[in-house]
Parts: sequence; structure tokens; C-alpha cells
Amino acid sequence: MEFEKYSVLELVDMLKSKEVTSEQLTKYFISKIEEKKSLNAVLEVFDDAITLAKEADKKISAGENGKLLGIPIIIKDNILYKGKKCTCSSKFLKDYVAQYNATVVDKILKEGGVIIGRANMDEFAMGGSTENSAYGITHNALDYDRVPGGSSGGSAVAVAGGLCPVSLGTDTGGSVRQPCSYNGIVGIKPTYGRISRYGVVAFASSLEQVGPMTKTVKDNAYMLEILSGKSTNDETSSEMPVIDYLSQIKGNIDGLKIGVCKEVLEVMKGLEVETPFLKILDWLKNNGANLIDVSLPNFDLCLPCYYIIAPAEATSNLGRFDGIKYSARSDKAENVDQIYTKSRSEGFGKEVKRRIMLGNFVLSSGYFDAYYNKAKKIQIKLKEQAKEIFKKCDILLFPTTASEAFKLGSKTDPVSMYKEDLFTISANILGIPSLTLPFASGENNLPLGIQIMANNFEEGKIYNLADYIETNWRWK
Amino acid sequence: MKKIDFIEAKRLASLSALDFSEEELNSFIPEFENILDMVEQIKNCDTENVELIYPLHKLEELREDMSKSGLSQDEVLLNSPKSKKGCFAVPQMLED
Repeated sequence: MEFEKYSVLELVDMLKSKEVTSEQLTKYFISKIEEKKSLNAVLEVFDDAITLAKEADKKISAGENGKLLGIPIIIKDNILYKGKKCTCSSKFLKDYVAQYNATVVDKILKEGGVIIGRANMDEFAMGGSTENSAYGITHNALDYDRVPGGSSGGSAVAVAGGLCPVSLGTDTGGSVRQPCSYNGIVGIKPTYGRISRYGVVAFASSLEQVGPMTKTVKDNAYMLEILSGKSTNDETSSEMPVIDYLSQIKGNIDGLKIGVCKEVLEVMKGLEVETPFLKILDWLKNNGANLIDVSLPNFDLCLPCYYIIAPAEATSNLGRFDGIKYSARSDKAENVDQIYTKSRSEGFGKEVKRRIMLGNFVLSSGYFDAYYNKAKKIQIKLKEQAKEIFKKCDILLFPTTASEAFKLGSKTDPVSMYKEDLFTISANILGIPSLTLPFASGENNLPLGIQIMANNFEEGKIYNLADYIETNWRWK
Repeated sequence: MKKIDFIEAKRLASLSALDFSEEELNSFIPEFENILDMVEQIKNCDTENVELIYPLHKLEELREDMSKSGLSQDEVLLNSPKSKKGCFAVPQMLED
């Protein structure tokens, strides 16, 4: 049986009805990881995966329940799972072993999920192509010569390449959505605070969220419910009640108010994604949705604001890596100062160093007001502008990326790589939820994603529209 | 206008606790300039009337001050590259 063809929801049913065992599933996916090793999506298969699968099978036989009981899952390499290595794809953390579980890991284990391995990523989640990993590049699941996107490239390829039915990524500026778009799968960056960040190695704490990456919209809705909720270990996690997102999928979009942002239409002119995007807008209108012209006047400033706020937070978050408490120590260090500088210089990769430097620049005296404070003020303005938009509509629709996945090694200049996040970054700056699903293909027959956004904590509306598109829009 | 020169780049490296060779730093400067050109767009945005609010978390949301066990000493030291007698070990800082 080709288990990669089934959704999580189907596999849950198959496990329950004993059509398949967790051991069979786990062994199958581990063999797929081995078979597709050249993709370099998975850094490690955990040695207790099969034992855990057998335990899940025993629980199933004993009639126990769990929403993910027996389902194999892969997590991004920046999520702590007790007793397992977590390297953030950095040389600096090559031997780091997690001493506690991230909240999302606890939630998966509580529901009986079997975490089978950890996925490659851009070092410390900084990048848009998974070319910045100390453990080698990951290849796109659909075209070996192209990037998988990033930073959660390994997690996206794991699902798209049939190495597991579901994975977790993290999204600080598009790191779940862009790789999902490039590999033709579904991924969400939930509302800031929807999922606890406890136990996720921090890059830019005020912007990032964990997000499930799945083959279908319904799987994604199912996963979000499992992962969401307040955690006393993360003060920024929200008390907002977690709802059954699957029940929000109604099968129609009658009267749905969809905002179409004029600044985005302007930027999209001439890009590969423009034609299919305009086509689907027409189709949505013909299927009962109301299209509403809206404006996010400072849309063009989302990207610059991000590249001030994110490095500022990163420089502070990465200060903890000192070669003393954890992280590798340089053997050339002869005193404490040298432990810091030499260990950090040997441990961090080029992009991480660049962002630490940038962060220190925008935070240093003389520049702080002009850059950091200014960017934070613009973020407040942008949030006000978004508030006005959501007074008028339920959904805001953007493309996910400008075009199909680009060729490996083709973007060498940092700014052109940063511009990859042009359409995804606004959801992180605004804090709002945003889901991508494949909706078209480009000139090389590779997928393009559409981004569905809503007001804070209105993921239910997103899933309803996403499922409607997935079920009824024909593009393949 | 040049926003960053070699001396400024050196200063940033020192603030970042990072060592760069002269060659690395010289190749870094033009990349950095390009990034700053991109972020510079924010300067034209009017933020005169925007009040900067830093999120202060509500005091009533503090969790109860209960003692609970954290990581053991062994667990804490497990990831340290060097430890001695239950402590993180670093080269001697003070003379005998």
C-alpha cells in the first residue's frame, strides 16, 4: 500500500479500524526517508520511532483514543523533543540534546502521535531556501534542481515527498507558507499566540508561530486544533478558546467578503502568479463571494520593517549561544572573551552572522530611533490599517509567492533572497493568521500557492474558504 | 551615501561577539549597504502621530508563585561543552 497517498484523517480511520498498524505505517515512512535520502529533508530518524509505534498499536488494541494515535510525524529541527538532538541546522548546536519537550511536542504525544524524526531547515530559521543549513541543502520534492523554500524546507519536502503524512514547521516571515507553496502542500501560520512557542528555539519572538504542514486543508484544520491553546510556560500564548476547526468547514462561501488589496495587485503586475490569481478571484465571485477593494497603504513597508524587527530580536535571542552553557566551544579559545567570540564565529553560519550584525546595527545607540523605533511605529500603523480592512471583509487574499520555486544556487545576493518573503511577511508583521494552499501551476508545471488571511483568531473562516477552493477549483 | 565603513563594521562585529577576517568584513560591507538601502524606505513614512506602545503584559496573568522542580544539575550540564564539579567550566579568569 502506498500510504503517502492518504491524508492524516484517512490514516486515523485506517488505524482505528485496524486496516493498518502504526508499526507498518512508521516502518513504511522510515523506508521512504531512506529511499529518498538524496532529498536531504530529514536530518535524523529517531531510534525509538518503531518502539513508540508498537506502543501506539497496543493502545489501539486496548481501545484507547488519541487524535493522532499511531500517526507518524516529523518536526522541524528547532523544536525541542526531550532526549533527542535539536541542532537548528547549525554546527553550533551539533551535539545539543533537548532536556524538555516543547508544548507542541507534549500535545502531539498526548494525542498518541509518533514523532519519527527531525527535518532540515535554514540555520536558526533564517532563510528562504534551506540552502543555509550546516547539514547540506534540501531539494524540492517536485524538482530536484530547485529549492524547497525555507526556512521549513525539510518539513515541507517531508510531506510533499511522501516521507510522512504531517510535519511541523515554524513561520517567522513566511517559513511555513513559502516552502508549502513551493512543494504544493498546505500550511498555516496561525494567529500570533494561537500556539505556544515554549520549547521552540527563538529567532524573532514577537513574529513567529509554529504551523502544521499537511497534504489537505482538513488535515491542517485537524492539526491546528490539537496544537493550539494557552500554555503557562509561554506568556504570549492566548487564552482564546480553541475551536473545532473542522466544524467551521461549511462547504459554501455564499456572501463571504473577500478583500482584494490594491497595493498587492500593483506589486503583482507582470509576476507569474498574477494571471492565475486574477482568474481565481473571478471564479470566487462567480461562486458566491463578494470581492471588496481594500487598501493596506503601507504594504510596501512590511518587508523593510521585518528586516529591522526580526534581526533586532534575533541578535538578542542568539546572545545565549556562548559556548559555555550549551553550543560548541572553540578549541582555540584561551580566555572567556575568546570563548564567546571564537565559538560564535566558528559556530554560526554566514546568514546568521549577517542578521546578528544587522540587529546590532539597528539597536545600537544613534540608530535605534531611526530604525527600530521607526519600524515598530510603522508596525502599529499597519495594524491599524488591517483593522480597517477587517471591518469591511472576512478574508484577505494574497498570492503566497511571486513565482514557482527557483533554482538551487540562483539567488546569491541577500536582498533578492529577502524579497522572496514579499507576500508572506505582512501576516507576521500584523500577527494575523495566514494559510497557503496550492491553486495553480507555473510555466514549469510547478505549484503556486494562494494565501488566505483573516482577522486574529479567525482561522475557522480561513479553513472554510481553503477547503472550498481545494474541493471545487480545478487547476491541475 | 555610505552608511557603514570598515571601522563601523568592526564595531558591530565586536558588539556581536563575532570575529571576522579583514577580507570577510570587506565583502560584508556592500551586502550590508544593500540591505540598509532596502530598509531605508521606512524613513519616508510619516509616524509623527504614532505612539509607541511596548506590550506590557497584564499583571493579573502572572501564574501562581509555586515551587516546582526544574531541570536537574546533570540535565543542565549535559549540553555544556565543559563542566567541572557540577559547574560550567571556563578558563581561569583571576590570577592565583
